[in-house]
Amino acid sequence: MDKRKMIVHSTHAFLGIVHFISLWFALAILITGGDFILVIFLHLLSTAVIILAGFSTHSIFSHLGANRTAISILAYEPVLVIIAISAFMLTGSFDISALYASEVPPLYKMPLAFIALLLILPVKLKKSPFDVGEAHQEVVGGVELEYSGIFYEAIYTAKWLDYVFCYLLVFLFGGSNIWLGLILVVLTFIYINALDNSTARVSYKQMLRFCLWVALPLAFANLLLTMFNIL
Amino acid sequence: MKLNKYRKKSPWILHYNAGGCNGCDIEILACLGPKYDIERFGMINSGNPKQADIMLVTGPVTKRSRERLVDIYSQMPEPKVVVACGSCTCTGGVFRGMYNCEGGVDQYIPVDVYVPGCGCRPEQIIAGVVEALAKLEQKTKDIEKSIRLDRSPQINNGQMDRREIAVEIAPGKVFG
Repeated sequence: MDKRKMIVHSTHAFLGIVHFISLWFALAILITGGDFILVIFLHLLSTAVIILAGFSTHSIFSHLGANRTAISILAYEPVLVIIAISAFMLTGSFDISALYASEVPPLYKMPLAFIALLLILPVKLKKSPFDVGEAHQEVVGGVELEYSGIFYEAIYTAKWLDYVFCYLLVFLFGGSNIWLGLILVVLTFIYINALDNSTARVSYKQMLRFCLWVALPLAFANLLLTMFNIL
Repeated sequence: MKLNKYRKKSPWILHYNAGGCNGCDIEILACLGPKYDIERFGMINSGNPKQADIMLVTGPVTKRSRERLVDIYSQMPEPKVVVACGSCTCTGGVFRGMYNCEGGVDQYIPVDVYVPGCGCRPEQIIAGVVEALAKLEQKTKDIEKSIRLDRSPQINNGQMDRREIAVEIAPGKVFG
């Protein structure tokens, strides 16, 4: 017998499952080399669904977590879209398979986009300077607060799927050179963990200011560089 | 299901201080810290009753905190285990009989494991939690058991009367 299921209401539990399934779809399209914009959209959809679930309960901490997750979307989503447009400028199509197949690794063609991705990855992974989404003990646990039992299992697995998603985005920068991609993933993993353990949490305003004034202009500069084929 | 085997190995802990002096809380934090490191057994201090398996209570239950204690206990889904950490929590300790608290946590919620000591040592807490894991497994099995009764419900005036049988359901009447 499993842990007894305690659900707040059926919509809440259902939205948790939808979050899990739509993240699987995003990951599947990313792996099979589909449309980059569609991948970003599905990832956004899964996050939007979990935000809706957070707002659908009466718990104030759940609301707080949903608010903070929405703010972190505002921080990282524009950068991701611009990275996708940069990839379009580089390969001439939004297909991720074109990136997988490119002879010159995209890292050499759009290095600033890679740096921008490194800057927003802590926001997406809810890692320490920018983990306003869950903020460990401060706001109890973010949007997944009201889930328990098998539905929490779905949310928890989705969190790990998110890790796979983010590191696959890093892997894309290796292009057809698999070893370069793997080295990038390992280095990014070390970087994320070192950053998580060595920094303190910033407030959500500081996070927004940093992402929109540093990471977003970097991604824009990279877009211009790729557009005029300077590198 | 196979997953049960692994859930036994990763119990999530909920820690609640029911008005204690923080001595036992610091010992629990020492357990979670790098020296004793109970996270290596998969135990996470979750801070969320809905996702926890084991409840670690410290402190004599003061009158201010007892409502919240029962509230948090009832928010934990079954199966759940309560570990009382410290002398005050087990019996009331030096606070027994004072105007602001009554003796021990077991006057309000059922306690499975008592860990004595003022404050209880981290080794004792680990031993208590390991004991609690066995209890958790037993409770998990008890939920699975079906209840078979000696006689069937009787029908009076076309209505089935289950009330008499409900009286009979006692721990001795449960079959595997």
